[in-house]
Amino acid sequence: MKRRNFVKNISLASLATPFVLKGINYEAVSKKLFNYSKSAEDRVLVLIRLNGGNDGLNTVIPVDQYANLVIQRSNIIIPEPSILAISPEVGFHPVMTGMQNMFNAGQLTVVQNVGYPEQNRSHFRSMDIWSTGMLDQNETRGWLGRQFDNDYPNYPADYPNATYPDPFAISMGYEVSSTCQGLMANFSQALEDPFATVNLLASNVANDGTYYGSHMEYLSTLIDQTNAYGSQINTAANAGNTLSTLYDINNPVAMHLKSVAQMISGGLKTKVYILNINGFDTHDAQVSTTDVMAGTHADLIKMLSDAINAFQDDLNLLGISNRVAGMTFSEFGRQIASNASLGTDHGDAAPLFLFGTCINAGIIGPNPSIGNAINDQEGVGMQIDFRDIYASVLKDWFEVPVADIQPLFEQTVTYYQVLGACNVGIEEEEFAKNKILLFPNPAVSNTSIRFEAQNEWVKIDILDFNGRSVKTVYDSNINQGTHTISFEIGELSPGNYFVTIQKTSGDQTAKLVKLK
Amino acid sequence: MIPDQSIEEPISLSMVPYTGTWTKAEAAHLLRRTMFGATNQQILDAVANGMATTVTSLLQIPAVSDPITYDPNDTISTVGTTWINSVYPTNVTAAQLTENARIKSLGAWMMKRINTEQLNISEKMCLFWQNHFAATATLDSRATYNYHMLLRSYALGNFKQLVKDVTIDPCMLLFLNGASNNVFSPNENYAREILELFTIGKGPQIGPGDYTYYTEEDVAAGAKIFTGFLVEGLRSDTLTSPVSTFYPILHDATTKQLSAHFGSVTIPDGGASEYSNYIDIIFQQPQVATYICTKLYRYFVNYDLTPTVQSTVIAELAATLIANNYDILPVMQELLSSEHFYDVALRGSMIRGPLEVIYGMFNATSSTPNFNLATDSDMYLSIYWFAENMGQAYATPPSVAGWIEYYQAPAFSKLWVNSTHIKSRFDIASYITVFTGIPVNGDNLKLDALTFVDGLSLPSDAITVIDDMCDVFCPKPISAAQKLTLKLILTNGQPDFEWNIQYTDYLANPGNTSFSNPVKQRVELVLMRIFQIPQFQTI
Repeated sequence: MKRRNFVKNISLASLATPFVLKGINYEAVSKKLFNYSKSAEDRVLVLIRLNGGNDGLNTVIPVDQYANLVIQRSNIIIPEPSILAISPEVGFHPVMTGMQNMFNAGQLTVVQNVGYPEQNRSHFRSMDIWSTGMLDQNETRGWLGRQFDNDYPNYPADYPNATYPDPFAISMGYEVSSTCQGLMANFSQALEDPFATVNLLASNVANDGTYYGSHMEYLSTLIDQTNAYGSQINTAANAGNTLSTLYDINNPVAMHLKSVAQMISGGLKTKVYILNINGFDTHDAQVSTTDVMAGTHADLIKMLSDAINAFQDDLNLLGISNRVAGMTFSEFGRQIASNASLGTDHGDAAPLFLFGTCINAGIIGPNPSIGNAINDQEGVGMQIDFRDIYASVLKDWFEVPVADIQPLFEQTVTYYQVLGACNVGIEEEEFAKNKILLFPNPAVSNTSIRFEAQNEWVKIDILDFNGRSVKTVYDSNINQGTHTISFEIGELSPGNYFVTIQKTSGDQTAKLVKLK
Repeated sequence: MIPDQSIEEPISLSMVPYTGTWTKAEAAHLLRRTMFGATNQQILDAVANGMATTVTSLLQIPAVSDPITYDPNDTISTVGTTWINSVYPTNVTAAQLTENARIKSLGAWMMKRINTEQLNISEKMCLFWQNHFAATATLDSRATYNYHMLLRSYALGNFKQLVKDVTIDPCMLLFLNGASNNVFSPNENYAREILELFTIGKGPQIGPGDYTYYTEEDVAAGAKIFTGFLVEGLRSDTLTSPVSTFYPILHDATTKQLSAHFGSVTIPDGGASEYSNYIDIIFQQPQVATYICTKLYRYFVNYDLTPTVQSTVIAELAATLIANNYDILPVMQELLSSEHFYDVALRGSMIRGPLEVIYGMFNATSSTPNFNLATDSDMYLSIYWFAENMGQAYATPPSVAGWIEYYQAPAFSKLWVNSTHIKSRFDIASYITVFTGIPVNGDNLKLDALTFVDGLSLPSDAITVIDDMCDVFCPKPISAAQKLTLKLILTNGQPDFEWNIQYTDYLANPGNTSFSNPVKQRVELVLMRIFQIPQFQTI
């Protein structure tokens, strides 16, 4: 993915002209905000597939909907006191301590209610949709494969080469990832062990212009490529290092992520790593018969949470965290109501996670709303289209120009700000400490702001895009420490706003998107 | 360097019987597409018998023996007897242990069937139907076995009747929720897939909920039509086989309205045979014949379906199918005898699937496990897992659409190989040739290199050995340089006559390992090498 000047291309999403707001030069703030690693070329995306359809409602629990959730899923619901609070309205499953730590450290984003229109509840079809990033069933390329095809034409024939010696994507395990399926070949190398040497017998058989000939060329290229990429991977793994003590040898996801950290730190220029976790199809025994907080689902999300936390810890220790961002995905969420077998059936939307030191930490989107009576087989309604999240990742993380992104997708792309400030470097660290967090954002009726303050007077306002205050949220003295203040925005008309904090120790501003 | 004869003429689209040259190249092509791994002798026999006789022989479906218990955890059927009509123990734990023993027996049996295929198409047809009606194994091995046997018995039988039988088969009723589809809560799963995947196929969406050949209205009507069946006897301690039973009270007795694609006909309450009436109506649409013939073509001939092939070859096959009231046999007869099928442009046009790789090695070298029941069975399970690691677990397709390599454009069979799978292919090639083999219970499963080389046309002649091996394992001639490399491996770099002396000495002293081992080792090395060249990866 080609190098772009982030600040120049992105400026502020949907903001046409820089303007001055209450004495704050917004462009200056934005420059600081978007002070990412020097080059998008160096950036790595780690995708973690939760295969089978993750139960979002027992992962990210909408605490403010608890009373109605109890009615629908009494046999599997987590007891309220055990839920790990990440905001007054949102909590995590109690096993997710690792991800709670990351959230508190500003290294995790929850994107709520992610799905697509007219959810297909077949694993097969829905995973196809998530892999291709298209609802069109005739699409065979993956969403990343399409972008790779644009950037690296004539793959696989012309690769690897001197400029691109490393695999573009690595899929941990035995299968290549369909997210990376390109027109002629898959851009991902399947890899189980980066330390295993690969030395396949190479044969150079010419393409005689027939079907057979095209296979000869494909196979010869594949064998050469496997050897060449295998050697690069091997070299990087041996040159690399890992530092975290948090990896659990019995956690296969953690061990795969450890391999990823090893390869990145060893200098491999691979842009995308894909991991897979099977078993999320929890139709029965999602929770154990004796302990609602244990069972298949708890084991799986603990595995995920512990693994990501260890990986992030490692990246921080290795000093490469500003180069890596991660995202989870699953083909669908599960139904609101549980079934009689202590499980849940195929549903609709679900939350997804973004992680890393450069992501826009917080909660994007409001809690799902659970009625006191629901339809048969009702799932969580989609509010954020996953294809827009993909597009936003391409735009923010890989700095793909907007003009090149839209043609990759069938819907009119809406961008979300998935990246925030990188919490690295002395200047950024200082900034991060003082930054404010707004969540959920976008929001419908309520949102919360988290900020640090001294013993001082604080005034929080919501401003419209002309800089006029439309609501004062807080105007009082406040003690030293980190504060979270929730406030209503239901009465505001949908659109873009700013939330400003004025205080003696320094003013701060964040953008807020109000949804219908 | 491309030899002149390898540069293709435009492909023949004629379906008239092939009358061109009939040599090992053509005969091997026929056997490569219809079997998993023909031996050199089978290829020579096919040359001698001629095309028509060979095709007729291939299309005879043989009877098979029953799977037998080898794991004593099956507490009902004793070791050495079959379990296919045995009840399960009453105790749930014992029933689970019994089932574990049975599913192992069944998996080993399925793998043995392919390994012991004779000169016929049945194993390739079974895999075709397993992929087409891609229901996976269920929790009662008797149901899984019965389902497999249903597909096997219709290998070249009547497609319409097969669809009818599959519709109410316990395995399919469980797999696509037919068993929970009733008048009180209709489930569209089977009603959708029978149209989308099993019979008429999904065309382009030409209107809201309209997929050219059927609509959402037909899916909803189908769900109602299929209501009323339950599966009984799963892991039963009294019933010797799971059965599907029709309950009128669970059936939707209303009149169902089909879309204009099916002539807007209505289907009145037909009770237990209503599903059959509906399938008769589906099969009135010629698109059903086009759809299944396309799938057969992609599996047996080539996945690249040009509009020209569609309008000629497929159209003629579909006409044959309809003229024969949906019997598959005449279609396969026509296809395998046609000029089009033998066009040299189609040699090696597909990449071998995992089972074609593994049995391409075992069957073509006449190698079978031959120790004892338990060891042989576990070796077959090892083969099953090898294939699974390469992406093809028999009787367990990844989705209801089957294995993606048979339908996913544009890469199709190329998807069988990626960086990990190519390594697995190379690894198994070395395990079963030059390394220790697949170890089970202290024994090792390796290829039988001596039997293989003994069965070649003139084993004492190094050049003939290499030529025969290329005929058996490669769809097209390989280059002179590659042949020379292989021959130098066989002769260990010595002049050809040294091989002749070595082989002749071994023949004169068959029981003496100091003569047989060097022959065996040289042949194993050549086999490993040939399994690791790109040409072997295609059929």
